[in-house]
Formats: sequence, structure tokens, C-alpha cells
Amino acid sequence: MVLLRQIRLLLLAELRQEVRSFEVVLTSAFFSVVMMALFALSLGALPVESQLMAVPGALWLSVAFVGSLTLTRVFDRERESDTLRALLVGPVNRMAIYFSKAAVALLVLLLATAVLVPGLIVIFPGAAPMAERPLFSAAMVLLGCVGYVAVGTLFAAGLAAGSGKNVLLSLILHPLTTPVLMFNLVATRALLEAHPGADAYLGRLAAVDVVLVVLGAWLFEPVLVGGGGGGAAAAAGRRARGGAGR
Amino acid sequence: MIRRFLPDGMLLASAVIFPYSVARIFLDTPIERTMGTAFKIFFFHVPMGWLTMLMAVICGVAAAIELRRRSMTASAVALAAAELGFVCGLGVLLTGPIWGNATWGKPWTGDARQMSTALLWLVIAAYLLIRHYGPSGSKRLAAGLAIFGAVDVPIIYYAVKLWKTTHPTTEVVGSLPPALWAAFWPGLGAILLCTFGLMGLRIRQLVLAEQLDEAWVRVSDREATDGTDPT
Amino acid sequence: MEPILPDLTPEPAPEPGSEAPAQAEVAKTEAPSEDAKSVPDEYAPVAGRSLKEVEQVRMLESVAAQKVARDYQHVIWAYGILWALFAGYGIFLWRRSARLRADMDALRRELDGPA
Repeated sequence: MVLLRQIRLLLLAELRQEVRSFEVVLTSAFFSVVMMALFALSLGALPVESQLMAVPGALWLSVAFVGSLTLTRVFDRERESDTLRALLVGPVNRMAIYFSKAAVALLVLLLATAVLVPGLIVIFPGAAPMAERPLFSAAMVLLGCVGYVAVGTLFAAGLAAGSGKNVLLSLILHPLTTPVLMFNLVATRALLEAHPGADAYLGRLAAVDVVLVVLGAWLFEPVLVGGGGGGAAAAAGRRARGGAGR
Repeated sequence: MIRRFLPDGMLLASAVIFPYSVARIFLDTPIERTMGTAFKIFFFHVPMGWLTMLMAVICGVAAAIELRRRSMTASAVALAAAELGFVCGLGVLLTGPIWGNATWGKPWTGDARQMSTALLWLVIAAYLLIRHYGPSGSKRLAAGLAIFGAVDVPIIYYAVKLWKTTHPTTEVVGSLPPALWAAFWPGLGAILLCTFGLMGLRIRQLVLAEQLDEAWVRVSDREATDGTDPT
Repeated sequence: MEPILPDLTPEPAPEPGSEAPAQAEVAKTEAPSEDAKSVPDEYAPVAGRSLKEVEQVRMLESVAAQKVARDYQHVIWAYGILWALFAGYGIFLWRRSARLRADMDALRRELDGPA
């Protein structure tokens, strides 16, 4: 299928670029370590029952911050050399761009969580159930990161295509990814408390992820390419009269 | 003729119904047994909550239409709905804790409805910030934000509900009142008319602003071509 | 012999509540003895309350009054905030309208000026 082939090509290009300097991977992994140190300092002395509530929060907050950092870095390169617009002009299926960028961000995020989760298990004894069910924990973390990346890639790309400021990304990203993170919070807590219904959470997470990925892929082209007509006229008009009231 | 004065008419009707509804609430409705006089807050708190959700849905739908058809009116409707959703959301989030404090002494209970309303309000606020302060091409981005926001709300609600059922609390969340409905509808009507009247006015303003922008562009173009006339 | 004075023995007062009637002071109205024969005895003794019960009732009333005052405070704050929000938005619309009108005037001047 043409789409898969394009995704594979773009993904390989991204990875090749990443392998040259390992910039994004190293910065994200280091950020995870820093966050773990902060959590160890601030929450390490909690009693075990409180840790059951603290560990999911620590995990998914770290994912949120590392994810925001990763997405910013992944698209910074495009923004600096304006290559995103070149990609959009070329005969590439838009969804291929979305999926390849999302896959890169996902890989980096998974590497960061591979550092984060064992670290949390070491710091907090209450996180031991995660070590006892490694496959379940891995699946849960994977599904959570997929959901996060599905939402984040769309908006990071949208901001990179314009002359957007970085600060807007955090503004948009965190309110929108909160539902995914909350779902994962609930699932992680169920896992840690050995709740009987914990297994059903994987199915629910997968359903939410499907919805978000489909929505993100579908909205990618309209949001990025759409039509420049309305916005350009308004901007030109504002410039014409020196920005007098609107 | 009717369309010209529809928003003003709605505002006028709301101004008339509002004192009537307040009179009904305070004079005709008996004091609720368990919660006392503070329950009167509910009569406007619930309509504001419904309106916040309604405005978020309108914003999402208008944003989808805007992306699809690149319609200026749809863009104006989305922005107006978002602004009013922001106002109504602020009202809900302020009156809710006031009522909670009066009834239970606890402003924030973290229950499902409260959390999902707060997060929806944050998404609406982010939408407004992008529309007002974003770079020039970010209208479409904001539209994507609105659509995602509208989709996210059921997810949040479901997630918090799951959380609450796995960890039951002893709080009894006040659900809708049993036999005090008669005083509820005038209040709902007043707030609904006021909100839609304001929205109509705002949409008109935004469309006018866009048309003014285009007119300015044409004027500056005309001046530019006048100066460089080759003949 | 017929009794000359009317029967002034106190009737058993209705129970005021759970109060022990041991200390009950019953205030009675007594018909003047001279008129006793002409007016039928319609006066029922007025049952008073014990001091303890009055104090209890006053305390409950003050608790209720405090709650009502606190509730009113909350109600006033809530309604005030709602009105302030809508008024604030109305003022925002008003100012935007003023700015648009100024912009339109500038455009009109621009169009009419050089022509």
C-alpha cells in the first residue's frame, strides 16, 4: 500500500536523522531521570498507602512533560528549516506525515518510559505490582503513550507550520491530553491496588486510543493545509491600517 | 426585520423574565428541607452548566463546518460560542464551590461532573487564547482544538466516573432536585435567552469586523495601484 | 350546701413536651370571685414553659438563624458573581462595538477623503 510505504520512508528518514546525533532521545531520557530525582526527593518519604496514589500521578505527569518536550524537539527541526511546508507541497499523502511523526515521537517517549518505570519501581516500594505484571504494565504504558502522541502530534505540527511560538504548544497540549492521562491514571491505580477489574482497562484504553488516532489523522490535513484565504486577508487588513481596533 | 432585532429581542425578553424567575425562586418555592436556603443557588447553577456544554458543542460543530467549508460565519459562530462558553463555565465553576461550601463546607469534591466541566473550561480557554493571540495561520489549528475538546469531554466524564466507582466516597453528590422543577424553568429560560442574545450580537460584531478587514485590504490595494499607474 | 366559690382547682395542664412537670409553674388566670357565678368558667389555664425549654428553643433558633444568614451570604455571592459575569461580557461587547464604529468612520474618511 502506498501509504504504508510512504510512512516507512518518512520514518526511516527521521530515524536516520536522529541516529546522527541522538539529540532527542538523550534529552528526553535525561529529562526522565531529572523528573525521577524530583519525585524521589518530594514524594519518596510517603507511606505505602499514599504511594499507591502518588505513583500513577508521578508516572503520567512525567509522560506529559517528556512528551511535550519531545514533540517540541521533533518539530523544531522542521520549523528551523521550514521543511514541513516542503513536505506538504510534495506528493506525499498527508496522513503519512502524521503517522511518521507520531511514530517517531512514540518511539522516543517509549524509550523515556523504559527509563522511568523501572526507576519508579526502585524508588517507590508501592509500585511493586508493576514489576509483578510486567507485560500488563508495558501494554498499559504503550497504550497511554499512543493516545498522548495521537493528540500531541496534530497540534505540534499545526504550530510548527505557522510561525507559532513554542509556549502555545504547552497551552494547547495539556488541556487536550488530560483525558488520556486521566484514563491512564485510573488504569495504573487499578493495577497497583490489584483491583479485579484492572484487566478490562486495557480494552477501554485501546478504544480511546483508536478514537484519538482516527480523529488526529483525519484532522491533520484540514488543520495544516486547509485554506489560507480567510487568515491571510485578515492579517493583511490589520497591517494595512496599523492594527487599529478589531 | 425580525432577524435584525432578534438578539435585542432575546435580551429584552430575558430582562423581563429574569425578575419574574427570581421572584418565583425566592417567594414561591418552599425552602428545601435538607439543604436550606443555599439551594436557591442551584436554580441558576444548573442552567449555566447545561449552557457551558451546549456552547462547547456548538463551538465544536461550527469549527468542523469552518474547516470543511472555510466559512467566515462558521468561524464567527465558533468564536462567539467559545466566549460565551467561557463566561458560563466561569459561572458554573464559581457558583458550584460556593454552593458546596454552603451545603457541606467543602468547595471542591473532585466529582465527575466538576472535573469534566473544569477541563472543558480549560479547553475553551485555550481555544480563546489561540484565536486572540495565536499567529496568523492558527484559525484552523484552533478549530481542530475545538473539535478535539468536544470529543474529549465524554472521555473525561467516563474516566472520572470509573475512578469514583472503584473508590467510593461517602459524599452524596447532589443530583437534580425532586419537586422544585416549577421554579426551574423560568430561570433556565432567562439565562438561555440572555446567552443566545449576547451570542447573536457577538456574531454580528465578528462578521462585521471581518468585512471591515476585507474593505481595508481593498482600499490599500486601490491606493497601491493608484500610485503605480503606468499610463 | 352548694359551693359558693367556683371550682378553682387547676386542671391538669397539657404536657409541654418531655419536660418533667415537677418544676412546672402553672400561671393561671383566676376569675375574680365576685363574678364567678355570673360568667361561666371559660378560661383554660395557660400552660407556660420551663426556663430550660425556653433556653433550648432559643439556642436552636439562633443556630437556624446563623445558618440562614450564612446561606444568604452564599446566595448573594453566587448571584452577584453571575450578574457581574454577564455585565462584564456586556461591557466587553459594548467596547468592541465602539472600536468597530471608530474603525468604520476611519474607513469612510479614507474613502471620502482623496475622492
